[in-house]
Amino acid sequence: MIDTGALRAEWTKFSSIRATMVLSLAAVVVSALSGWLFGNAAAGEYAAATAQERLDFDPLMEVMRGVFISQLLVSALGVLVASSEYGSGTLHASLAAVGRRGRLMAAKAGITALTALPVSVASVWLMFAIGQSTLAAGGAPSVPPGGPHALAMLLLGPVVLTLLALFGLALGFLLRGTAAAVNVSTAFLLLPTLASSSPGFLRDLMENFWPSTAAFQALYGTSWLPPAAAFGLFVAFVAALLVAAFARFERRDA
Amino acid sequence: MIQLNGLTKRYGDKLVVDDLTFTVRPGLVTGFLGPNGAGKSTTMRMLLGLDLPTAGTVTVNGRPHHELRHPLRVVGSLLDARAVHPRRTAYKHLLYLAQTNGLPASRVGEVLDRVGMSAAAGRRAGAFSLGMSQRLGLAAALLGDPPVLLLDEPVNGLDPEGVRWIRALIRGLAAEGRTVLVSSHLMSEMAVTADRLVVIGKGRLIAEGDLGAFTETGAAVAVRTPDAAAFARRLELSGAQVRPGESGELLVTGMSMPDVGRLACAESVPLYELSTRRVSLEEAFMELTRDAVEYGAAR
Repeated sequence: MIDTGALRAEWTKFSSIRATMVLSLAAVVVSALSGWLFGNAAAGEYAAATAQERLDFDPLMEVMRGVFISQLLVSALGVLVASSEYGSGTLHASLAAVGRRGRLMAAKAGITALTALPVSVASVWLMFAIGQSTLAAGGAPSVPPGGPHALAMLLLGPVVLTLLALFGLALGFLLRGTAAAVNVSTAFLLLPTLASSSPGFLRDLMENFWPSTAAFQALYGTSWLPPAAAFGLFVAFVAALLVAAFARFERRDA
Repeated sequence: MIQLNGLTKRYGDKLVVDDLTFTVRPGLVTGFLGPNGAGKSTTMRMLLGLDLPTAGTVTVNGRPHHELRHPLRVVGSLLDARAVHPRRTAYKHLLYLAQTNGLPASRVGEVLDRVGMSAAAGRRAGAFSLGMSQRLGLAAALLGDPPVLLLDEPVNGLDPEGVRWIRALIRGLAAEGRTVLVSSHLMSEMAVTADRLVVIGKGRLIAEGDLGAFTETGAAVAVRTPDAAAFARRLELSGAQVRPGESGELLVTGMSMPDVGRLACAESVPLYELSTRRVSLEEAFMELTRDAVEYGAAR
C-alpha cells in the first residue's frame, strides 16, 4: 500500500520547509482565536437578544463559525504538499527516486492525512473548548462535548478538514502550482457563503449539495439530505477528485 | 547498461526524439552529443520515466525505470542542478532522496564528502552558486551507489578547478565499471572525458562509435606539389578521393600516406609536402551535425 520509505521522505520534505510548518501552526492558532472571538461575540448577542432569539440560539454553531477560515488553511496545507515540488522543480528528482508515480502520490496523500489530522483535531477541539468556555463565561448557554451534535462535530469535524486537505492535494496535482491551486480551493470553499445572496434555486442547490457545505450541515444535523448521505456526498467528491488527479498524474509528462 | 529501442517522443506535431536505437555499455564514459534542441534532455527524461515515450522502449539494466523498486540504487541522475527547494538544506534534500530508496542516512554524509560539500551540508540550497548546486546534484546521483549514471551537462557552471575535478570523477566512475552517459553540446569537453560517442541531431541518431573513429573519418593525407591537377587525376585513377585544401594542397582520402609517396616517386612527381591532416573532434562534430542544427545562425 503506502511505501514507508517514501512516506518518511515526505515527512522530511514537509518538516524541512518553513511554509508547511508555519501553515500548520497558523491553522491551529487561528482556529483557537476564532473560537474565542465568535464565542465572545455570540455571548454579547445573547445578552442583548429577545426571548424568541434566545430559543433559537445554537451554542455549537455560534462558536464553530471560524471553521470556515480553518478549512481554507488546512486545504492550503494539502495544496503545498503537491505544489511545492512543482514550484521548485524537485518533482523530477522525487519521481526519479521513487519510480512508480502511484507510489509517490500515495505517499503524498499519506503525509497529507497524517499531518492534517492532528492539525484538524487541535483546531476543532480548541475552537470548541475555547468557544464554549467563552460563552459560559459570558453568561450564555453552552454545550458540553457530549451535547447534541457536539460529539459529531468533535469526532467528524477533524475528518472533514483532513479530507479538505486531500482535496487541496488533488488540486495541487491537477493545477501544478501553489497560486492556482490555492485560488481554486479558496474560491470553492468560499462560494457557498455567497449562496445566501443568490436566487432561490441556486441557493438551495448550494446549501444542500455543495460538497463541503453538505458535510458540515450533516454534522450540525441541518442537512437537507440524510446526514449519512450528505457526508457521503462530500467523501465521494474528494475521492473522485483524487482519482482524477491520479489519472492525470500517471499519464502526463512530469 | 542502457538500451534504447526505437525510442520516439512527439510533442503535439513536433517530433523531438525520432526512432533512437543505441546501447550504452558499462565501464566506459559515453558522450551524448548534439546541438541544443537535438533531443538529449528529452531522451534522458524518458530514461528516468519522467516523460513517457510516444513509441519504443528504453531500459536500464534490462528493466524500464518504472519497474525499478529502488531506482536510485540502479540509476543515478543529474538533470537540472537548480531543481532543489531553495529553503531546504543540502542535507535534508539528500536525506529525503535516501529515504525513498531505503538508504541509510549515513550515505548522505558519504556522498557530501565525495563531492566536497560536507561544510555546506546545513546550508539552504537557495544560497548555492551554480557550481555548488552542480556538486549537490552529483551527490544526489551517487546516493544509491548506482551502476548506471546519467549526467546532463554536468560541467555547466563549474570553474576550471571544478571542471578538472568532475572530469576525474566521471572517468573514475567508469573505471569502477559503471555505465556513464554524459550529455553535452560541447565536443571539446567530450574529447577529454568520453570513450565513446553517440551523436544525435533533430532527434535522430547521426553517428555512434569510439572516440578515435570520429577523428579518423575526416582524416586525410595532405600533398603539396607544383603539378597538382595532373597528380590529382593520377591519384583518382588509383582509386583515391581527392579534394582541394585551403591553400592549394590536395587532401587525399582512401589511400595511405606511404602509398601516396610511392606513387609520386614512380611518377617522378616532386613533392613539397606529404603529411597526415587530422580533423579535430570539434570539426568532425560540426560536419556531422551541420544539417541538424536546430537554432543555427544563418549561413
